[in-house]
Amino acid sequence: MARAAAVAQATPPTLWDPLVRISHWGIAFVVIANGVFTNGGSATHVWIGWVGMALLLMRLVWGVIGRREARFSAFPPNPVAAVRHLADLLTGRPRDYASHNPAGAMMVYALWASLALVIGTGLVMTGGISPMKLSEQEATLNEGDWSTLAPAGTEAENGEQGEGGGSWVKEVHSVAANLMLVLAVLHVAGVVVESRAMRRNLVAPMIAGSRNRPGS
Amino acid sequence: MKNVFAIALALTLSPLAALALPNVGDVVGTNAKDATAALEKLGCTISGFENEDGKVEAKCTDASTGKLVEVRIDPKTGAVASLKSGD
Repeated sequence: MARAAAVAQATPPTLWDPLVRISHWGIAFVVIANGVFTNGGSATHVWIGWVGMALLLMRLVWGVIGRREARFSAFPPNPVAAVRHLADLLTGRPRDYASHNPAGAMMVYALWASLALVIGTGLVMTGGISPMKLSEQEATLNEGDWSTLAPAGTEAENGEQGEGGGSWVKEVHSVAANLMLVLAVLHVAGVVVESRAMRRNLVAPMIAGSRNRPGS
Repeated sequence: MKNVFAIALALTLSPLAALALPNVGDVVGTNAKDATAALEKLGCTISGFENEDGKVEAKCTDASTGKLVEVRIDPKTGAVASLKSGD
């Protein structure tokens, strides 16, 4: 009964809170910049990757302590509900949700999981060194004495580290990054379809709008 | 006569073959300027350097084939440690 009442009263946010908006557009920038424009392995690529990591961590914390519609509990991953929502989209007007709809929620989690994988493999590939340190290394590579870049220890100690393992990590990084770009395109397509079906602009609350919900 | 022609052709082309790519062990230098010059002499057009697993990786385009080759250089000695087809 309470659930039915909650469903009946569910109205989507007319304006997402600032943290959700910053993390959304920030992550969009990170995915496009590093997926399309920057050179993998460059200091710029790693700087942007670290910004992505900060944004993702911030959003994950906000998913626990943030506003009600931003919390994970407001948009739990539910593949069955997601399929039902997509079927509703095809047959008519689906119902409203107080947070992301179930299909949107699945997309959010898929994007975050891919992003986490890209960030994790990126950290392995760079040995976890900070972008500041990488910028210094890049300057040395282009203008300085390379002997300062040689790892400490003997050749035998350093051995084949990273050579064998590094290649599959690189592969996973690349595949996950491409997957993220595909998901991003699907996400945009979903927003367009949903906006038309619901006769409501889904992008506006992610940019600007009123905090007042309809009818409140 | 045929053999003489083949030998003459081989001798004529041998300097070009030597220019094809650097070999493992070739010392190309321990800074970007020296390494770029040395690698270009060996038939590589360099588009950049990266630090990979403790080695300097030169992005080399083979001047004769146009293919990308990653030339890994020991940063301490400046010697070519390995060559790998680019991805």
